[in-house]
Amino acid sequence: MPTVTLYPPSSTATPPLKTENPLPPLLHTPTGLALLEIQGTIHFPPPSATSTSSRVGKLVFPTYNPNLNGEEDTKWMKRVYLYIGENQRMVGECKRLGRPFAVIRRRGQDEGGDEVMEGGEEGTGTGEGEELEIVEVVRHKIVFSGRPEPVGGGTEES
Amino acid sequence: MATQQFDGGVPFAVAASAQKLQLLELPPDVAALLDAPNPPRLSIKSSAAAANNRPAYAVLCTPNKTFHLRQVQTSNSLFVTHPQLLDSHGNDTPLPATCAIASCPATLELHPSDVSAVAMLHEVLPVYDIVAGDVDATGNGRSKDHIFENLPLSDAQCQAGWNELMAFEHNEDTYIPSVNALSQVWRSINAAALAEGVRLDSQFLTEDIATAVADDGHPSPFTKAVLRHVSNDEQDAEGPWSCLDRARTVAFVGKTLLEAKQGSSDFLIADFTDTWEDRLPEAWRKDAKLSAIEGSYEFPSDTTIRAKSKDAAVANVQDAPVATKPSARKWHEKFAKTRKK
Repeated sequence: MPTVTLYPPSSTATPPLKTENPLPPLLHTPTGLALLEIQGTIHFPPPSATSTSSRVGKLVFPTYNPNLNGEEDTKWMKRVYLYIGENQRMVGECKRLGRPFAVIRRRGQDEGGDEVMEGGEEGTGTGEGEELEIVEVVRHKIVFSGRPEPVGGGTEES
Repeated sequence: MATQQFDGGVPFAVAASAQKLQLLELPPDVAALLDAPNPPRLSIKSSAAAANNRPAYAVLCTPNKTFHLRQVQTSNSLFVTHPQLLDSHGNDTPLPATCAIASCPATLELHPSDVSAVAMLHEVLPVYDIVAGDVDATGNGRSKDHIFENLPLSDAQCQAGWNELMAFEHNEDTYIPSVNALSQVWRSINAAALAEGVRLDSQFLTEDIATAVADDGHPSPFTKAVLRHVSNDEQDAEGPWSCLDRARTVAFVGKTLLEAKQGSSDFLIADFTDTWEDRLPEAWRKDAKLSAIEGSYEFPSDTTIRAKSKDAAVANVQDAPVATKPSARKWHEKFAKTRKK
């Protein structure tokens, strides 16, 4: 009956992101982690041997325009598109979570995701298996609750 | 920068190898705790599965609260995403993209736990009893730290229950005193205070009394636990000084006396109040009135008194291990119970 320590997010150790975060600033977190929920699953061809990820589509924030509406504008949250491939689009929104989510991982282990996480933080490298840490507390999530709808072209958005 | 990215949308990718991340939904108080400048470490504890038939479960403890962890499955795909540079086909400059690095089919929810530390300590700690002047106690060889670590409760809750029960650590064992032992140690404390000329309701060195009481064979941690229990709240529990709360002490002595008599022959009301008075420092004698222990007694007849049956919770727990152990093997009893329902 062991006690597992769950470390709080380290406020000091987060190095600045190496990769620019392309999402609207509201969705930014110190480590760059964000949440995205869709109904169903995304099917996509396996990535080529050389790449670490497969591009499956794009996120579009059609009414996000800080130049026009100012940085404080939040109306854009009401509408987000997720294009999957060329011909499917899901309509969703950004939600502020009533109860934020803590993203937890095993401490000192970066399983298989080093490249992806390189902008975030590095594992401490200690061999302690039974320690967990909160990597980030995320307060927003992008939710796509509807079914995908067919769209033409895909390169043009609304 | 913004225009270029948002007009064309943010490329969305899925990582080839997913990381193992868990999502834990935070209730407002836990979220606030983590937002504070120096967030505390949390701990995930699990209860023993074997103890009286309850299924094993895990709890998350903040320094002073306990939450049950519950896993909630979702049919939706919940991705954790991270910014990543994506090589675009035939384009020299990689595009900033967002990449799903983990998929979480289940999330963890927290539900406040109302398990009583007192009840749990009753289950795990042996009783320290004194029978006919001899100590009757079987040590468990476990330290207080070890006990706390294995209780599925936060440290503050463990400590509160520990204080309430006047549990103590002695020679690498931990015990809960029986009412009988409490009654006796109080007699010694009262006698020692009289002999040493200590006024219990003004500040005194805890060690002085504990040392004097140790001559009667009561371990000093036990004495200190009792003194801490009846001290007024202004005293630092860890400090070397004590100062007893008069009302609390009078009630404690009365209740202990009454409960220690439980099971023996009828206790005459007059006898009870006389003994009670005798057990108190001289100046407090007049405080020994039934109103001081309101709700803790009942009158089985016109002239006798007894302690009201103990809190159902505590009584149940004390009985529980005995009651459930045999039924663990007797399946027919188990099923009989469900049949009747």
